[in-house]
Amino acid sequence: MARFVKPLRARQFGRGQSNAGHSGVEEQPKENDYSSQDLQSLDLSADLQTNLGQIKAILSECSDVIYREFDFAQDDRIKLAIIYVDGLASKSQNSDQIMRALMLDAPLVEERVEFTRERAFTLIKKKLLTVHQLDETNSLGGVIDAVLSGDTVLLVDGHTFALINGTRGWEGRKVEESQTEIVVRGPREAFVETLRVNTSLIRRKIHNPNLKIEMMKLGQVTRTEVALAYIKGIVNDKLIAEVKERLERINVDSILETGYIEELIEDNPRSPFPTVFHTERPDKVAAQLLEGRAAILVDGTPYVMTVPFLFIESLQFPEDYYERSLVSSAARLVRLFALLISLLAPSVYVAIITFHQEMLPTSLLLSLAAQREAVPLPAIVEVYAMEIAFEILREAGIRLPRQVGQAVSIVGALIIGEAAVRAGLVAPGTVILVALTGIASFTYSYSSSLSIRLLRFPIMALAATLGLYGVICGVLTILVHLSTLRSFGTPYLFPVAPLSPGGQKDVAIRAPWWAMSRRPRLVGMNNLRREAAGLKPKPPPTRGKQ
Amino acid sequence: MRNKLACLALLVMIAGVLGGCWSRKEMSELAIVLGAGVDSAPGGQVRLTLQLARTSAFMAGGDGGGGKEPSTWVISDTGETIADVQRKLSAKISRHIYWAHDVILVFGEEAARGGIRKYTNFFSRELQPRETMWVMVARGEAKDILETGSELERTSAQDIGFLARARTGFSVIFKDFIIMLASKGGNPIATMVEIVDRGVISGDIAKDKPTKRKGVALTGTAVFDDDKLVGWLNMTETRGLLWLKGEVLKGVITFPSLTEPGRELSVNIIRGQTEVEPQYDGESVRFYVNIEVEGDLIEQQSVHESVLEEHERNGMEKEMAREIEGKARLALDKAQGEYGLDIFDFGEAFRRKYPREWEKLKDRWNEVFSGAGVEFAVDSHIRRSGLQGRRTSVPE
Amino acid sequence: MLEGGKINTRQAIALMVTMVLPTAFLFVTSVTGHLAKQDGWISLLLSIFTALLIGWVAVNLSLRFPGKTLFQYVELILGRWLGKFVAFLYVLWYIHINALIIREYGSFLVAAFMPETPISVFMLLILAISAYAVRNGLEVFTRVNEIIFPLILVTVIVTSALATPEMDLKRLQPVFVENGPVPILKAAFMPAAWMSEIVMLAVLSPYLTQIKDGYKIAATSTLITGTFLIISFVGGIATFGPEVIGGWLFPALNSVRVIHLANFLERLEVTVMVVWVAGALVKISVFYWAAVLGSAQWLELKDYRPLVLPVGIILFATSIMLHDSILDLFVFLGTAWPPFALTTFQGGFLLLLLAAAIIRGKVGKRK
Repeated sequence: MARFVKPLRARQFGRGQSNAGHSGVEEQPKENDYSSQDLQSLDLSADLQTNLGQIKAILSECSDVIYREFDFAQDDRIKLAIIYVDGLASKSQNSDQIMRALMLDAPLVEERVEFTRERAFTLIKKKLLTVHQLDETNSLGGVIDAVLSGDTVLLVDGHTFALINGTRGWEGRKVEESQTEIVVRGPREAFVETLRVNTSLIRRKIHNPNLKIEMMKLGQVTRTEVALAYIKGIVNDKLIAEVKERLERINVDSILETGYIEELIEDNPRSPFPTVFHTERPDKVAAQLLEGRAAILVDGTPYVMTVPFLFIESLQFPEDYYERSLVSSAARLVRLFALLISLLAPSVYVAIITFHQEMLPTSLLLSLAAQREAVPLPAIVEVYAMEIAFEILREAGIRLPRQVGQAVSIVGALIIGEAAVRAGLVAPGTVILVALTGIASFTYSYSSSLSIRLLRFPIMALAATLGLYGVICGVLTILVHLSTLRSFGTPYLFPVAPLSPGGQKDVAIRAPWWAMSRRPRLVGMNNLRREAAGLKPKPPPTRGKQ
Repeated sequence: MRNKLACLALLVMIAGVLGGCWSRKEMSELAIVLGAGVDSAPGGQVRLTLQLARTSAFMAGGDGGGGKEPSTWVISDTGETIADVQRKLSAKISRHIYWAHDVILVFGEEAARGGIRKYTNFFSRELQPRETMWVMVARGEAKDILETGSELERTSAQDIGFLARARTGFSVIFKDFIIMLASKGGNPIATMVEIVDRGVISGDIAKDKPTKRKGVALTGTAVFDDDKLVGWLNMTETRGLLWLKGEVLKGVITFPSLTEPGRELSVNIIRGQTEVEPQYDGESVRFYVNIEVEGDLIEQQSVHESVLEEHERNGMEKEMAREIEGKARLALDKAQGEYGLDIFDFGEAFRRKYPREWEKLKDRWNEVFSGAGVEFAVDSHIRRSGLQGRRTSVPE
Repeated sequence: MLEGGKINTRQAIALMVTMVLPTAFLFVTSVTGHLAKQDGWISLLLSIFTALLIGWVAVNLSLRFPGKTLFQYVELILGRWLGKFVAFLYVLWYIHINALIIREYGSFLVAAFMPETPISVFMLLILAISAYAVRNGLEVFTRVNEIIFPLILVTVIVTSALATPEMDLKRLQPVFVENGPVPILKAAFMPAAWMSEIVMLAVLSPYLTQIKDGYKIAATSTLITGTFLIISFVGGIATFGPEVIGGWLFPALNSVRVIHLANFLERLEVTVMVVWVAGALVKISVFYWAAVLGSAQWLELKDYRPLVLPVGIILFATSIMLHDSILDLFVFLGTAWPPFALTTFQGGFLLLLLAAAIIRGKVGKRK
């Protein structure tokens, strides 16, 4: 599994030592107080007991850390100790590949090579340990980092270097089908909480040396591993430099989810619209990378961020690219329409029935008027109440334990709606409208739908005071706002505004693959062409003649 | 950034607080006008009659007791101007009078005879009334027309609206009516409506005997001299008028069989086109009217002739052309002879062709028109014959 | 740099069309139709030529002073003090014309849609949105326009197509004979004044990615605008005839009101309002931006954003105070304004500037 790959080292890019935050004044470590020390600058000593003492002091009251001291090859010549975290490191690996090798197998090797105290370190490393992945460090910080990341550290008496054995093997969720982004056709696997599994899922899609995955640790307390993935040669180097710069600027105590990072690296932090994309689908991330985007993976969450994020991606789903282009284009248009409905339907409804009754055909007006005759509330109050009720139901639907969820949704949908209509509190038309609006908001990307759902409330207020004029003003304000947004330098509304004629092949419609020969212009500008010309399939020329 | 957002939020809030009352009208605060009638009242006043929808009667489904409740409320009052009456009426009507869905605008006979321009301005100046409402002149009082009911539709206004839309007679929307009023090259005409017997209602409701119903029908065309009503065309003459104006959209032409006297044939019109070509030699004006018509044979009383035979079909087509010309002559004669008014917009055709001469003739155009010769050239075709080629019910 | 944005040729064309079309579309038909009757399209053709000429002058001037806006190069042409004075007049002009536009905008909404609502509400809201756009710079409202522009064109085309059953092209006849040249010439003033708003290119040209495309931008956008004005005019005349059209305040609106198809496609004028408000936002933003940029350059500031709010307040106050009512506004727009605009800021002044620049020619070119 992925955890056997090269060990994770902090700050492979960027600013080196100072990443842990505190810089400057070097103090002599006080006894038992390492909390304010820059551990990376403390070297290991040659004495095993001193090292163990320091490590124990740093990791005091950490009941899950295990120290195992033992002797090399069943005699007293060389003292050894391993340190690992119970539950993070694989115990079987520790006993088979480290302890067994050093305690039992060593005499077999010793017949050919002589182990002395001085040579022990190199020989253990080269000849004895059967661990796949081995690294060394000479700093206390390196040791602590490795232990807390799930590796096993082997200390050898008399040596100022420690061996880091890649033995990560904690219990994690298996790769399962995506829960939130479901497709009918296409790969089903989704990311999990383990970073290495996630990187492997991407690597499995793109077998190319140009797929680069750089690591860093963020969060002074959590020391969370963060990976930056991109495809060299496709991605714009300026973008990578920008992303790195923004990531390195982060100086917080904790990173528990990609959302923490998102809010710290956004272009427009106050905007209701997301300018960073999340997904838990590896195929989606692979596609994003192949268009020239960068992906940010965070250990501990199955959500991967990609940047830059354009608004149009709210309407693009992986399945669009797997199904036939005509079908996908139709689905796109449906989503676009649904997006407009979920933003505007309640406000347009309010505007029409309280300001612009002339827009309705006469017979529709009469039957709507008859419905409303029985309703005591003004239309806006009614719609607000129903929309809020729907939001409550939706919110409850997410939080409810699965067992009661179904009951509540039935109660919500049927009883409340039906009863409200029967009691004459709400017009049937309003119920239809609110239901439609609610359902429509699930057709496009979830994170955009959150912003759009939020924005429809102020627009409803505008509709109730100024009619359709208010609605337009609301929409125009949003439009101006969207035009000011950029995601990592790329205009948010690209390729619609600024218009890119070639980009239209993947906006309202999804052109066939043989027609989409270029990457989106502003995103993949480093390497635009992605397929050969003239791929459109056609019958062999001989067929016509026969 | 923060200030900007705060400003925007504040604006929205201010708009929300200040708003409330401006142009907002809840649907349950509307008195929806479906039909409006204008009559003249004593003392040069105007009487406005409104047919309002009683919205609660329009409930769909079982709950609302649909159909049982009366669906309209007709109310009228008099005043100096239409706006004046509207104001007076609003003291009797508990809701906003809402014009945007007005389907028909009916002028009473007397009001129309006194000059219709006096009443039309309100309807083009106001926002709510539509340019697309149907304009009609009632034989008698407009009020009576609006007080009728309808058998198939919920309200008589909608009923009349559908009749007008079907364009079996001459029907005109308000926009076209005011264009005619503004034009010098023709006189306005409008649909004529009156109350007639409209069958009986039978079935469960009338247990004992079928009840006779009276209702509104389109019965012809009202003819104006400038803006004053001067007379009427009946339905047959109206058909002729439509041919001359080139507005035939739907209808049936019935003409006698050539070979079997006393038997008739009917052709359903599919397409008709009329072109009017004026000619002026400095003294007399002539008009050449070219009518092209295509239709389907839909009924044949005669038994032996067949539309499949080319010469027989040609005979039918000729007979059909003669019938059309006859109808058109009927209307033309009435316009030229009885009224002496150009109601076919021939003047406009003349103006387009001879704009300079028109300047001299326009002030006495009706006179010129009455003396003008008109020649017809009708080109008619039977294109299809329904499901039958020849009659089969005849024993060979 | 005061304005960091750059827009490409396509964006500039779209911007210039939206800058002229929305209000012209609404107001021109009435005046032209009233004066020139069914021959108004000839007036429109004449005004297109006028606008092309003025556009040529504006672009030619700009090309002589690349990287400089109108407010800056008047100083190079006329010298510092006189130049400053003229630049100041131009700033005032842009405030004045924008105040008129905002007033037209509000008047239309109040008269045609929501008579009970105070006009200041409409004007404040649109000003607030365009202030937001202007603050964020040229690129932002250009991008907004890229979304609005196709909507405007499609709406004009679709509504015209839907209204065809009501149209009768015979109403355009007879051509020329009835009215003669004088009314046609008179009627050409108003659309010419409108279309010569293309002078904006003199302010815009430093921010074009391809400055050389200036002539192309002026010509293409004028032709597009002209075509749509002619479509709208011909549609209006064909629908209402020459006698009725002069009576409407907003014939384009009435043309849409008469659409009635299939008992369902009726009463579509609100869609016109939607598109028109969107177009007006861009139009107002462009002029607002010009006024703000101009005053910043006149004051030689480093950043124009502090001026957005004050200029906005001035715009609002001016637009309220300029005219008493829509009636005054209409009379002013129909009679006094076109000759004034054409002889001064949107024509005459530019010609004089060009002449001066040519006389002092080499100075300008070397810079």
